Amino acid sequence: MAEGEGGQGLATIQIETESRSSVNPFGLFRRTDSADARKTVRFGDAAAVRSKPLWSLLSLVILMVLWWAVKAGDPPLLNDRTFPTQQATWDAFIELWRNGFRNISLWEHTSASLSRVAQGMFWGTVIGVPIGFAMGLSSRLRGMFDTPVELLRPIPPLALLPLFILWFGIGDRSAVNLLIFASIWIMIIAARAGVRTVNLSKVRAAYSLGASKAQILWRVILPNALPEIFTGIRVALGVSWGTLVAAELVGTSVGLGAMIFAARPFFRIDVMIVGVIIIAVLGVLMDVAMRYLEAKLIPWRGRG
Amino acid sequence: MKDLKAEDVTMVYELPRGGEVHALEHVSFDLEAGRLLTLLGPSGCGKTTLLNILAGFLAPTSGRVALGGDPITGPGQERGMVFQQGALFEWLNVEDNVSFGPRMNGKKKQEVHPLVEDLLVTVGLRGFGDKHIYELSGGMQQRVALARCLANDPDVILMDEPLGALDALTREKMQGLILELWKETGKSVVLVTHSVEEALYLGDRMFVMAPRPGRVEREYELPFANVALEVEPRELKASPEFIEKREEVLSLIWDMEEQIMGHEGG
Repeated sequence: MAEGEGGQGLATIQIETESRSSVNPFGLFRRTDSADARKTVRFGDAAAVRSKPLWSLLSLVILMVLWWAVKAGDPPLLNDRTFPTQQATWDAFIELWRNGFRNISLWEHTSASLSRVAQGMFWGTVIGVPIGFAMGLSSRLRGMFDTPVELLRPIPPLALLPLFILWFGIGDRSAVNLLIFASIWIMIIAARAGVRTVNLSKVRAAYSLGASKAQILWRVILPNALPEIFTGIRVALGVSWGTLVAAELVGTSVGLGAMIFAARPFFRIDVMIVGVIIIAVLGVLMDVAMRYLEAKLIPWRGRG
Repeated sequence: MKDLKAEDVTMVYELPRGGEVHALEHVSFDLEAGRLLTLLGPSGCGKTTLLNILAGFLAPTSGRVALGGDPITGPGQERGMVFQQGALFEWLNVEDNVSFGPRMNGKKKQEVHPLVEDLLVTVGLRGFGDKHIYELSGGMQQRVALARCLANDPDVILMDEPLGALDALTREKMQGLILELWKETGKSVVLVTHSVEEALYLGDRMFVMAPRPGRVEREYELPFANVALEVEPRELKASPEFIEKREEVLSLIWDMEEQIMGHEGG
C-alpha cells in the first residue's frame, strides 16, 4: 500500500536534487535552470529568482575596472591622497602582512576584532535566548520584560560608547560589552518569535506521548525555535560587526577599526583601504559560514 | 480493556466582549473498549472540543470524562493523539519521531529500535526510518503519526481529522490502514471527521453532532467497518445499504444547516 506513495515521494526528491546538481557545472552559462526553462511567465515569479554566479563575477570585474578607471588618467580622477591604486593597495597589504602596522601585526588586529565579535555574540545569545524564551512562554514574564526591552532596544549602541568607556575603560571590556548590548535585543526578539512559531499540536502531541514540561522545553520548543534563533544570530552578527569597527575607532588601540583610525594622521590611505576590504571580506565569510551551518544544523527549515 | 465514558459533559466559553458560546451541552456516552467511534458534524458542533476534552487538553465546564473509571484531568499516554498535520517533529527523522514516546519514558534508543522497526512495517513504511519528515508525502507523514502514537501502546487512539489534509486517493488508502490497525490492535478509536462517507465507512459507532449548542443529535450503530476489510472499499461504498445510510445522514445534516441559516435570517 505504501509503495505507490513512497515511490511518488522519492521521485519528487530525486527531481529536486537533479535540478540542483545540474545547475552547478553549467549554471554559470545557462540562461535559466532546467526546471524553470519552460515557464512562460517569468517576470513576477519572485520565488524562482536565484543569484546567477556569472553575473556576480561580472559585477566584481566591473568594480575592479571602475577602480582602475578612476586611477588611469593623467592626472587621474582621484589622486593618491584620496584613493590608492590597486597596486599600492596590494603592496600595502603585503607590507601589513609582513610587518604589521605600528608594531602590531595584521593578525593581531584581525583576531582582536574577531574575538570581540565572538564574545559579544556568545554572551548576547546566552543571555538573550533564555530571556526571549521566558517572554515567549509566560504572560507574566512577557509583561515584566516588555518595558525594559522596548525601552533599551531602540538605543543605537554607539550612543552608549562614551558611557561604556567611562564605566569599563578603554579597551576590550568596553567593546565586548557594547557588542553584547548590540546583539542581546536581537537575540531576545528572535527567541521570542521562535517560541511563538510552535504549533500547539506539536506541544499537545508531546504531552500525550508522556513528555514532561522540561522535555517539552528541550525537545520541542527549543528545536522548533532554532530557525528563528539562527536568523537572529545572522542579523546580530551583521550588526555587531558594524558596531565593532566603529567602536574600535575610539575605544581601543588594537583591532581593525583602530588600525584604520591610526592610519589617518599618517595619510596612509592604502592601509585604510586594506582595513576596509578585510572587514568586508570577513563579513561575507561569516555570513557564508552561518549559511553553511544553517543548512547543516536545520535542514528542515522552510520545508515543514 | 477500558471503557471511555462521558457523563453530562458541558463546555461553555465566555466571549471576551460578553456573551457565551455553548460548545457542548449535556454530552453523555459509554464507549466500550475496542470500538471505533466517529464524530461527524458541521463546524461549530463541538466535535473537536469533545475530542480535546477526551484527550485532556481541555477541562469541561461541567460533567466528567473517564477512561476505565479513572477521571481524565490532563493529557496521558493511555490516550494517544493523531492530529491533522503539523504535529510531527521536523527536526527528528522518522525513527526518532516514532520512538519519541518511549524515549520520553527513559527508554534507550537501541532498546526501542526493534519496536520502531515493527511499527514502521505495520504502517507500511519499512526502511523509511532514517528519512526526514519533510521528505515524506502527506500520506506518509500521517503513517508516521500513527506509528508514533502506537509506540506508547495507548488504550484509546484519538484522531482529529487525521485524513483531512490528504488527497482523495491517499485518503481511501489511509482509511484502509486505520481499519487494519483498529482490527489488529483491538484498541478503542475516536475519530473526528467532516466527511460523511468516512464517518460511515470507519465507524462501527457514529455520532452526528449539531451546533448551537454543540450536542449529539443522533447516534448510529454501523455495520460497515466490521466487514470493510473483506470487501473492496469502492464496492462497499457503492452498495445500496451504504448509499442509503449516506443519504439519510446527509439529509439530516442539510436539515440542521437550514435550521441554522433560517435562525440567522440568512
